[in-house]
Amino acid sequence: MTQTLDAGGGFSGLDSSPAKGATTREGARFATFAITFGIAFPLLYTVYERLNWPLFTYHPVLGNLDFWRQSAGVGPPMFWYGWIVLAAASAFVVACSAMLVSGYWLRRATVFCLALAVLWPAALTGLRIFIVDWATFDADFLNSVWVAAIPAFVGAAAATYYLPARLADRLWTSWLLIVPIGGLVVLGYSLLQPWFLR
Amino acid sequence: MIFSIIREDTFWKILLFVHFLLAVGLLAAVTLQAVAVLMPARQVAGGFIDRSPVPAASYAALIAVVYVLQALMGAWIYIKYRTYVRIPMEELRHFWTVGSFELKEHVVTMGLGLLPAYWYFWQPPASAEYPSARKWVTIFLALCVWYSFIVGHVANDFRGVGS
Repeated sequence: MTQTLDAGGGFSGLDSSPAKGATTREGARFATFAITFGIAFPLLYTVYERLNWPLFTYHPVLGNLDFWRQSAGVGPPMFWYGWIVLAAASAFVVACSAMLVSGYWLRRATVFCLALAVLWPAALTGLRIFIVDWATFDADFLNSVWVAAIPAFVGAAAATYYLPARLADRLWTSWLLIVPIGGLVVLGYSLLQPWFLR
Repeated sequence: MIFSIIREDTFWKILLFVHFLLAVGLLAAVTLQAVAVLMPARQVAGGFIDRSPVPAASYAALIAVVYVLQALMGAWIYIKYRTYVRIPMEELRHFWTVGSFELKEHVVTMGLGLLPAYWYFWQPPASAEYPSARKWVTIFLALCVWYSFIVGHVANDFRGVGS
């Protein structure tokens, strides 16, 4: 079975004919959109799920839709639809915005956002461990997402600044796998206590 | 109202069966594509490198459309699952089944987010420019579909068609 998929594989992006040039530009714009969406969507979905930020709540027993998060009601509330819709809408905006910036800044911004997504909860967890296990004074004022934001932003900025441009380029499409798998690890871990270790 | 023609549980079982049929089709298509991208190009007589037997780009569009249809169908049936299946599952302490199904929701969602990039990577000239990304995104999608199929099947065995 010989395939014909790559029949256009010999097409050169350097082709100078206006029609093909326009096609290539459109293709590059869609590539930016699709890859950015593929990175932003799983990241935002994981964040919204962990923070429990659904755009709406569905109550299956009553058949009602309520804006944002509504836990109380008759029967179980369903947040999954709300997380997906909010993540899709946010990722769509992010992906459209990505088409407006240069490739260099897009890759840098991606590294910054992903580093921030890892460092912020890590800093908050580290602060909480410090408060409970290490602090010899009343350090409860450190137990704040905004205090944790300071080292997270500094660390993300440093990672973005020091990451070589070539590595950022090479990582660009790799994020399409790293982010969903990382998101699934985080979401899977959150299921351990309620279900798998019960 | 449709429930004046058929019983409510029959209606949901028909939906579940259609969901199953679509799942089998999607599983076959995405598995074939994943196996194809994993197969190396063949060396044939005369020094020419034959292309690996990867199905055509239109196949990717079909898989993306069926994946979205399946996700929508699953989201619809999920309403019934949440009230009619999950609650007795918890009461009977089938916690692994519930947890696996919770993870399935996330796995399906991650796959959904990758569909635009997946479709793009299969279109020429991107299919030649991003061979590695195309391969791994396809494999990831295939694993998502396989996981969802198996977990969905286990949940169906608890309370579904033929259970």
